[in-house]
Amino acid sequence: MSDKVSFKINGESVTVPKGTTVMQAAQQMKIAIPHFCWHPGLSVAGVCRFCLVKVEGRPKLEIACNLQAVDGMEIRTDTEEVKDAHKWALEFHLINHPLDCPICDQAGECGLQNYYMSVGKYQSQMDRPKVLKPKALDVGGDLVLDTERCILCSRCVRFEKEVTKTDALGIFDRGDHAIIGTYPGKKISHNYTTNLVDICPVGAFTSKDFRFKQRVWFLEEKPSTCAGCSTGCQVDVFGKEQTGTYYRLKPREGEANGHWMCDYGRGTYRHLNQEERQRFAFVNDRGSRRDVDFNEAIAVLAKKLKHTKADDVAILVSAQYTNEEYEALFDFFVGKIGVKKVYQWREPTEKLSDFDGLLLRGDRNANTAGLLAAMKLHKVGGDKPMNQHEDVAKSGAKLVIALVPEIPTGFPSLKTHLLGLSELEFVSFWSVNGLIDDLKQARHVIPLKGFAEKRGTFTNHAGKDGHLTTPFNCPVPDARCIVETVSALAEVYSRAH
Amino acid sequence: MGNTTDKVKILTAFEGMPNSRALSTYTSKGGYDALKKVLKMQPAQIIEEVKQSGLRGRGGAGFPTGLKWSFVPQNLPGPRYLVCNNDEGEPGTFKDRYIAELSPHMIVEGMVIAAKAIGACKGYIYTRYEFFEEIHWLETAIKEAYQAGFLGKNIQGSGFDFDLDHYTGAGAYICGEETGLISSLEGKKGQPKLKPPFPAVSGYLGRPTVVNNTETFAAVPWIMTNGAAAYKAIGTEKSPGTKLFSIAGAIKKPGVYELPLGYSFEKLLNDDCGGMLPGRTLKACIPGGASAPVLTPEELKGLTLDYEAIAAKGSMLGSGAVMIIDDRQSMVELMKVIADFYHHESCGQCTPCREGTGWLANIMGGIWEKQGAESDVDRMWTVAKQMGGRTICALSDAAAMPTMAITKKFGDEIREYIRRGTSA
Amino acid sequence: MSSEQVFSSKLQDAIKKELTRYETKRSAILPILHAIQDECGWVQDKHIDALESAHGLNRVQVKEVLTFYKAYYQKKPRKHPIQFCDNIVCCMMGAKDVMEKIEGHIKRLEDKHGDDAPFEMIGVPCLGVCDQAPAMLVNKDRHHKVTVDNVDQILSKYASLT
Repeated sequence: MSDKVSFKINGESVTVPKGTTVMQAAQQMKIAIPHFCWHPGLSVAGVCRFCLVKVEGRPKLEIACNLQAVDGMEIRTDTEEVKDAHKWALEFHLINHPLDCPICDQAGECGLQNYYMSVGKYQSQMDRPKVLKPKALDVGGDLVLDTERCILCSRCVRFEKEVTKTDALGIFDRGDHAIIGTYPGKKISHNYTTNLVDICPVGAFTSKDFRFKQRVWFLEEKPSTCAGCSTGCQVDVFGKEQTGTYYRLKPREGEANGHWMCDYGRGTYRHLNQEERQRFAFVNDRGSRRDVDFNEAIAVLAKKLKHTKADDVAILVSAQYTNEEYEALFDFFVGKIGVKKVYQWREPTEKLSDFDGLLLRGDRNANTAGLLAAMKLHKVGGDKPMNQHEDVAKSGAKLVIALVPEIPTGFPSLKTHLLGLSELEFVSFWSVNGLIDDLKQARHVIPLKGFAEKRGTFTNHAGKDGHLTTPFNCPVPDARCIVETVSALAEVYSRAH
Repeated sequence: MGNTTDKVKILTAFEGMPNSRALSTYTSKGGYDALKKVLKMQPAQIIEEVKQSGLRGRGGAGFPTGLKWSFVPQNLPGPRYLVCNNDEGEPGTFKDRYIAELSPHMIVEGMVIAAKAIGACKGYIYTRYEFFEEIHWLETAIKEAYQAGFLGKNIQGSGFDFDLDHYTGAGAYICGEETGLISSLEGKKGQPKLKPPFPAVSGYLGRPTVVNNTETFAAVPWIMTNGAAAYKAIGTEKSPGTKLFSIAGAIKKPGVYELPLGYSFEKLLNDDCGGMLPGRTLKACIPGGASAPVLTPEELKGLTLDYEAIAAKGSMLGSGAVMIIDDRQSMVELMKVIADFYHHESCGQCTPCREGTGWLANIMGGIWEKQGAESDVDRMWTVAKQMGGRTICALSDAAAMPTMAITKKFGDEIREYIRRGTSA
Repeated sequence: MSSEQVFSSKLQDAIKKELTRYETKRSAILPILHAIQDECGWVQDKHIDALESAHGLNRVQVKEVLTFYKAYYQKKPRKHPIQFCDNIVCCMMGAKDVMEKIEGHIKRLEDKHGDDAPFEMIGVPCLGVCDQAPAMLVNKDRHHKVTVDNVDQILSKYASLT
């Protein structure tokens, strides 16, 4: 017996593994079947009754999400009967919905709105008073809940049951008074709350972090890889290039993360915004700090490098940069200059083996694997990473190139490290975030581009590559990625004397 | 065909007997003899006998009982369950209560036989909360049956084990739907489960489970004692056997009547029930519980009470609850009662039912409050039409069917009410 | 609060018995809520908290059950709750008139006693005794053929109507 089945949707043939539902097959074929309760990452609930399709030869319309494809089956999603059923399914969803789109944060990415445009567009038959329910409830985490907008698709309840296994949400009461919520007085507390906002097909769950900040249609959305830990979730970065503002990260379906993303990772856009950034290069002769442009900063460093013996130079590098950047860095400093002191910048409290069972790993660096591989290739660094600025100090280096961790939230000791390092003889800080800006003793600072502003590759804990393909314009004009910085430095260095 | 529509007392055999509920009364008239016989039979033989009898589910859907039992996978290891749906909640229905009142052991015996047939190790009788006395009788019968060795380990020395317990509902009509009942038995909200898989494959706790109505189980001992042929000789070809009819409304003698299927409606109304109350005339009849479409006097003429004949009139036999509506009764009020009922009882998981039942009740409320428009009548019909056949269980259909029938057959009366602000 | 503080020892025993009676602990939720209500009159949040902390029943699941099924009281009922069937047959047999009369009594008793009035009434779906309609439950007692003429006599057995 074959483990494949062949059948047709709208006359188009498809062969799929046995057990595939019509909904799953339609997704692969890019045939849109409207749905609310079905979600590829959750069990089948079959309650919204929106995904009705016609099975040739059977009397009733059936829901595609719970319909297993069998050989020879012929499905139609485009008949008048099906279209009418979709229109009515939508009408049933809308009759008690508040239609408060102008003040709803979901507007622009709302299932009800989108389907109204594609399968709805009719004169509503509903002219009776609607059922009223509680609104704007803080239910914990990143979540604000409007139970009146809820269409009771149960996605969030299933997420709590099946994904986080926290069972914090229930549907109480019954019928059209059924209401979604937590146990009275209890809040949802886990690291995955914003997924509930993502999977909510309407505006019942909105994000405290994002709501009312920006209409989604004003945002640019670019694919990227989360830099928050060694899992390397596939994400979309939402920002507005015109103002140089970032607003949120959302998961994009990928091998590393499936459909989800953690709240910690979601927060790793904030350091990209201007107020958190290292916005200028500066040099500081301890007493006279002045902002300089990129070229001057490079010239100062090139000169310093020229006058320092290779043995007196140390590289302190965090694991949050790309493989391409490490290659450029080591190629120049190790290969050309002959630097031997290369240290990893680690957070002393980190527990590399930690894993929450879902996505978040104890290694809060996107590219530890890539960094280790690059160090091995260039035969630098020991097995045991250095982790304290004191160690760098003890190494006796007179010039330290410090590639500061980009995302401060994963580095509770970062400020202490920076302070300690800034007091050494001469440290050149290369940094995305602006924590160095406050350090009176810091001698030399070059601003860097953030992960969303460059191309490159991270290698995750499993050895799989995650790509940064579609950069935003960097809101810091003088920022460069490490490849560009090293390239400029190498150029000036070769001419310096 | 040799079928008889003469009255036979199967389910009501103990009617009028003193102390009819006691085990001793039951056994004195051959009670548990069927079980003793069945314990020596092979499961396949039992299922075949029930199939041959033509017994159909008495809860409302009329699904062939033997066939349902045969769906249980025989070779799957692990427990199988048997459940008696005694959650009698279909408005107008009070027949299962009557069996529990008369012969609770008949239910127990039927269940042990069914358990033997499907290989169930454990069974539950699920009764609605409000049947306080009936629950007591059933629990007493279970206790007696254990003491007499008709339940528990090694029943009557046969080597067959079967445990039976009672479970009490908590006020939800939807638990009369078999998968809603299973959810409830699992300690959850009584929300029906998505099918497939069907309970025979994945029911209570994901295990093969058969759920039958109380009356269905109660018919089984007689069939096993007297044989499938004897049962099939009663009633009609396609609707064999007897059925309990709960008849109520504006009639002289309401009550439970055991009748062979195919019995004349007019005979039931005029002879058995003594006709309409004085001064009242027949306006309509709901022949099978609240969800059955209403029939007009015209449609009731010559009607026989069996699955096929009632279906041919566009209604259904359902649970056998016959509600006689007289000329004084406002159909507007009746429609409102029905709409409110389904609104109150929709479990809320499927959108068309959750929203549709609310919408119908909302429109009907408007009409009742004299804020209706004549177009509301057609709108109700349209909304109801869209609620049918679209949901996990049949509650949505159950709300839709009577609405479509009443708005169609008594639309003029409702429109008149809307115009004048009063019932005709 | 510990389970001992919330439940009497008799109720504790009943709960423990129900928890092992069925194939899963979860199946015991409905019977346990019945047991709590039978002894305490209604089910409070403290009961649910104790069921979770002492007996391992998930409080969201318990609350879902409590709110889904209409037999459970989520607030303290009056001394004699009346559940009057307002479904098809009872309605045809005059339930509305009887209910109106009872409402009148309750209104009057509320004027006099406020929330301490002995009765409250809700309409309930079919009680399954349509041959003896109209029907009502007072506490757990079922009354048949309740009419405008006999209702006062029935109710006054429970509490004075004046």
